[in-house]
This record gives sequence, structure tokens and C-alpha cells, in this order.
Amino acid sequence: MSENQNSSNCRISRNVLIKAPGLLPMLYTPREIAEDLDVPETTLRDWLNHGAPHSRDESNHIWIDGKQFAAWVDSQRNARKKPTHPLQAGEGFCMRCNAIVKIKDGEIRSVKGHLSHLKGKCPICGGIVNRGIWNAGSSELPQG
Amino acid sequence: MLDRQNYLKVKLFLKYSRDIHGRSSLQISNDFEHLKALLLWAGSQQVGSAHAFNTSLTDFLFQNVEKGLDQAELQSILNTNQRFLLWMKAIFPVEFQNIRLNWIVKISEISNGKEVII
Repeated sequence: MSENQNSSNCRISRNVLIKAPGLLPMLYTPREIAEDLDVPETTLRDWLNHGAPHSRDESNHIWIDGKQFAAWVDSQRNARKKPTHPLQAGEGFCMRCNAIVKIKDGEIRSVKGHLSHLKGKCPICGGIVNRGIWNAGSSELPQG
Repeated sequence: MLDRQNYLKVKLFLKYSRDIHGRSSLQISNDFEHLKALLLWAGSQQVGSAHAFNTSLTDFLFQNVEKGLDQAELQSILNTNQRFLLWMKAIFPVEFQNIRLNWIVKISEISNGKEVII
């Protein structure tokens, strides 16, 4: 009798992120979970409406599996993280286009220590794109 | 799935400890963490039949705590569980009639020869 309504990201406090893995593999009532996580019951019911895993018995009482709920809290944390895209060789971030672009006519000059500076043009808007690169092991530097 | 009645008894014990013995929030929080070991040990069985469980609580702790426990922490967990069981026997004498006082007293003893991981 599992039910999931609209699943969207919820704002989960740090306190809950820390306490949720300590939930036991058993069925809790909303009030018990709210007490264990130290959040108001209304907040917890709001999370249930936003897709937190729960089920209802024949009397329409809500039951929450502690481990499933902990996994959901963990997924909410991961969902809030923005996906990363490490820059590849020859790529830079154009501040005008607000996007990652392949740098055109790139010139590399040594700055200080292990750091070099790659300067070129954006192939889309023609603006200047800068990028710092590490000398050691960078495929962008001329070999030899 | 763990037995909900065990969980409710633990909650009752914690409430009693706070209201009657005046234990602080931090102590209650620590006690709850210690009693989680008992709940996991009991699993879906009633704590009232704890004397008949296959493994002892100490062995369960040694087997299931991956990160390791120091001796003081282990002793603290066992002492809390002993306090809980003594309280349970006093409050629910019929349900706990099969558990002997002697068994509860011995639960906090760490067997000789057990390796304590630090």
C-alpha cells in the first residue's frame, strides 16, 4: 500500500541529514519519526506530501519505514547537489554565454610555479575566455 | 523489521528516565543510541524472551559494530541495557517473569578472552 505523491526536492536541515541514518529498520508513525529527527510533525507531513516513502494501513494510518525514509533523505541531499562537469582539455567557461565552450586560438603562458594561463576566444560570442591550468600532467600544454 | 513493542518500551524507559530520574537531554540521547543495540539484537522478537536468544548481547555487539568499540564504550552500552532490563523487570513483572535477575546482572559483564577493538 505504498503511496508516493508529487515527488519534488525538499529542503532538509543538516540536523535531519545527520540523524536520519540512525533510524531503525521498523515502521514508525509520523509523530515518532518527527520526535526522533527533532522536527515538527507538520514538517514531516509536508515531506510525506512531497514524496517521502510511506504507506497506509486499512485504517488509513500512515506508517514510515525507517530505512526507506533514511534513504529518501539521503537522495534529497544528493538531488540538491548540482551536477558537475569537469573541464576537458581546451575547454573554458565563457562568462558572456554562461556556458562551457571550446576555446578558440588558445595561448598558454606560464604564470607562477605550476600554474599556467590559457587565454583564447569563445567560438560563439567571440569574447575572451580565460582559464587557469596546472602544468603537471595537463594535456593542453605543448609536450616536450 | 524490528518489533515495535520493544521500541515503545525503550521510549517509555527514556521518558521515565527524563521525568523521574531527571536525566538530561544529552544523557537521554546517549541512552537511546545505546538501546538501539538492544533493539537490533532483539530484531523481531520480544525483549521479554531475551534470555533465549541465540547470541549474547556482547557477542552481537562484537559481530555487528564495524568501526570498532573501545572497552569503555562497550561497557557503557552494556550498563545502559542492564539498567533498561532491570527497569523493565520491575515495571512489567509478568512479561519479564522468565528473565532472571541474575541473568540481567550478568549481561554487563564482558567475557574474558574477548578481543576489544580500539
